[in-house]
Amino acid sequence: MPRAVRGVLIECDPSVKAIILKYDEERHDYIVEDLDDDRHLVIKESQLQNLKLRLGRELDEKVMQPEESESE
Amino acid sequence: MAAAPSRPFDYLESLPGTVFFKLYQQPSTALAIFRRMLPDLAKCFVMALLYLKDPIPAVDLEIWVKSESLKERDSALSILGRLHILSNTTTADNVRAYMVTNPFAASLRQALTGAEQTQSFGVLSRTSDEGSTSIGSLDEYARRQWEGVLGYMVGTSGLGIQRDANLSKGVKQLLQAGHLVEIRDRRVEITQDGFAFVLQDVGTQVWHILILYVESAEAIGMDSVEVLSFIFLLSSLELGKSYEKRHLTSNQLRTLTDLADFGIVYQSSPEAGQFYPTRLATTLTSDSSALSNPISGTLSGPGGGSNQPGSGFIIIETNYRLYAYTSSPLQISLIALFTTLKYRFPNLVTGKITRQSIRRAIEMGITADQIISYLATHAHPQMRKHNVSRSTSNQTGIPPSVLPPTVVDQIRLWQLERDRVKATAGFLFKDFVSLAEYEAPCRYAEEIGVLIWKSDRKRMFFVTRHEQVAAFLRNRK
Repeated sequence: MPRAVRGVLIECDPSVKAIILKYDEERHDYIVEDLDDDRHLVIKESQLQNLKLRLGRELDEKVMQPEESESE
Repeated sequence: MAAAPSRPFDYLESLPGTVFFKLYQQPSTALAIFRRMLPDLAKCFVMALLYLKDPIPAVDLEIWVKSESLKERDSALSILGRLHILSNTTTADNVRAYMVTNPFAASLRQALTGAEQTQSFGVLSRTSDEGSTSIGSLDEYARRQWEGVLGYMVGTSGLGIQRDANLSKGVKQLLQAGHLVEIRDRRVEITQDGFAFVLQDVGTQVWHILILYVESAEAIGMDSVEVLSFIFLLSSLELGKSYEKRHLTSNQLRTLTDLADFGIVYQSSPEAGQFYPTRLATTLTSDSSALSNPISGTLSGPGGGSNQPGSGFIIIETNYRLYAYTSSPLQISLIALFTTLKYRFPNLVTGKITRQSIRRAIEMGITADQIISYLATHAHPQMRKHNVSRSTSNQTGIPPSVLPPTVVDQIRLWQLERDRVKATAGFLFKDFVSLAEYEAPCRYAEEIGVLIWKSDRKRMFFVTRHEQVAAFLRNRK
């Protein structure tokens, strides 16, 4: 019997997907369905904003940025 | 330019037929719609049918147009239909026919040939008490008020630049109600819509504001139809002439005062006996509007300097440095939205587009495309000249840009950095027993254009809307 589940389809890089999987391991409160390829998964609609914020913060910290020279 | 798909047209189209019936009672409205909203072919049709007493059979009208222009004919007829100007009827012997609808036909005839004393086109003021106001000073007034509105939106006051236009509370509320600005922590912040707004040409901006005004009119207890037809009246007035206020209704007087805040009309004081339309009003429904008029010249160009339309003032180098030859506080604060400004000289500001400055802009809701289009529209003639020589080496079908490709790409990349995930809300269909059971609804979802993602192996697919797919599944049982 087929079922329909409400959610938000997330499309992202494999690296970002790995991070989301890691978040979900804590309390299993993000993922509705892991779609088993490197780039897609379905998450709960209510968690979307939260996830975006958390990802933004974490990636800002972790991703190296080339030094921006302010010299003219 | 007439009848290019435009905001006023979209707005009018959304109104119910009864509103049109009331609007078309006024000859000034009928004339304004006729000259601004209709493509040339539609005007021909209206003129030809205007004095006919009986409907004209559709076939007769259709043979006027050569067969290679069927597309133009259909679009003209459809526009006329959507504006409730032309109606489909039948002749006495039951043939499909067209007819110009009545309040419109009567009003347009009246507008063209004149009639007994009407106030539809305003009443010229005979008594000039304060010595007539010159066109030059009207332009100056309109420019100052309008630049004040735009300046308020982009926050020129934050740069410590004095503002000489004083905006009323009504103006600020209207901008907020239209989601062009938001108040956060008691500071004015421009929204994404607002940024798109300030980058448009003046004519489009004025219409945008007027439509917001009409939409909000009901809320403050005015009849929106009355306001709208008053706007059309204003658009048919003559620049440099003053008009009597005696004949206006109280709602019209109120509208007049509100529009004076935007610089659309001028009155020496709210109690004055007459008012002047400014160029912002008189160009509303004429074709000769935006580009050639001195207001948009000074607004979009460097302040006061060269009035040549379309002359840009921004130079960007491949190393992300930006030089803007302008002294206009408005332009400077626009540029400051997405640039780290460094130095300011009397006629020049310099700065650099950096990752931080772009991210700051994107966090405010401005998109990379808006920034790029702004930069491209205002690129200095030197950049265009420079680019003509290079554009022969046009790679991968991207149209040659006046901006350095590295900068354009990098601005887009910086935006992408913010959006690492693409999220689509919808429904996941799963637990299909067999591949056959999975395939049919999946194909159906693809056909109706709701399918986003599917996996044959896992027998799952993701759609944006589930109702039709669910119905499809039920019907197959």
